[in-house]
Amino acid sequence: MLTTKMDTRYKKWLIALFILLLAGGTAIWWIFTEKFTDTAAVKADHTVDAMDFINEFKTDLGEANKKYTEKIIIVNGTVSEIKNADTTSNIIMTDTTSGAYIIFAFQQQHLAEAKALKMGEMVSIKGSCSGGTYSGILETQSINFKRCAVNK
Amino acid sequence: MKRTILSLALVLATILTFAQKKTTTSAIVNFDAATSIDALPKAENKTVIAALDTKSGGIAFEVNIKNFAFTNPRIQEHFNNAGWMDSDKYPTATFKGNITNLSAVKFYKDGTYPAEVSGDLTIHGVSQAVKTTGTIVVKGTAITANADFSVKLADYNISGAAIGAGKVSKEPKISVSAVF
Repeated sequence: MLTTKMDTRYKKWLIALFILLLAGGTAIWWIFTEKFTDTAAVKADHTVDAMDFINEFKTDLGEANKKYTEKIIIVNGTVSEIKNADTTSNIIMTDTTSGAYIIFAFQQQHLAEAKALKMGEMVSIKGSCSGGTYSGILETQSINFKRCAVNK
Repeated sequence: MKRTILSLALVLATILTFAQKKTTTSAIVNFDAATSIDALPKAENKTVIAALDTKSGGIAFEVNIKNFAFTNPRIQEHFNNAGWMDSDKYPTATFKGNITNLSAVKFYKDGTYPAEVSGDLTIHGVSQAVKTTGTIVVKGTAITANADFSVKLADYNISGAAIGAGKVSKEPKISVSAVF
């Protein structure tokens, strides 16, 4: 009878351990196979006008970076430049007085939307802000975005 | 008459100077630190600023570290945190150098030319003198510069558990492509 009790307890522990290992393995698998959600489906943290946005970075680069870096932002503005290549499409909005600009690199699934945009077109773009930096090469500020999509 | 000629010469000289220095806001840098244990540490940055001076052979790049786009959110976070690139403290990686075999590159003639480049590469606040070879393709008014090389993370004071555990390559491969 004692042996039967021990067998039952042993089996219960074994099952519990198995479930724990399965849960742990699943969690690790999920963490390392997780991909970024399509930006089009992500809720934005801020919605801004392009020139106001550029001005915030010009006024206080540190504060603007603290406020916006790694946030999902919708930027409304005018297309100043389009940089298309085989596998990439960047849209640029420029403050013509200072040369400071915002550059949007599009997610793979949204490349076609970017390539369809026209110079001078008013557009709303959503993406993950990587912050602003001063470029010694261009002698102006650039604000970078990744994983972008046209905001509809 | 003399003043007109002088003014025209000045304007022409200015135009030619600007034509020599070419820049782009959309160069691409690929970073691949994948290993046999972990295929995830690789990313692309499509908003790299680059400059090329066709007269002096000067070449420069500025890379916003946070704009390297990974597919996995955890790796994106780890890459930027203090234990790896520490991008809050060192937001930009830069290269400033020269094409050392400039006479072999005919910027005015369509063709593909091997380019030897040397200069200072600064990553994570540390500068190292580097040399690499690349190619320059001239087609009409477009100049495309490409280069592939590796960097030793330890040379730039980048270390961490993931590197030690073999999940991140100690010498990631970098490939650069810029169209001017």
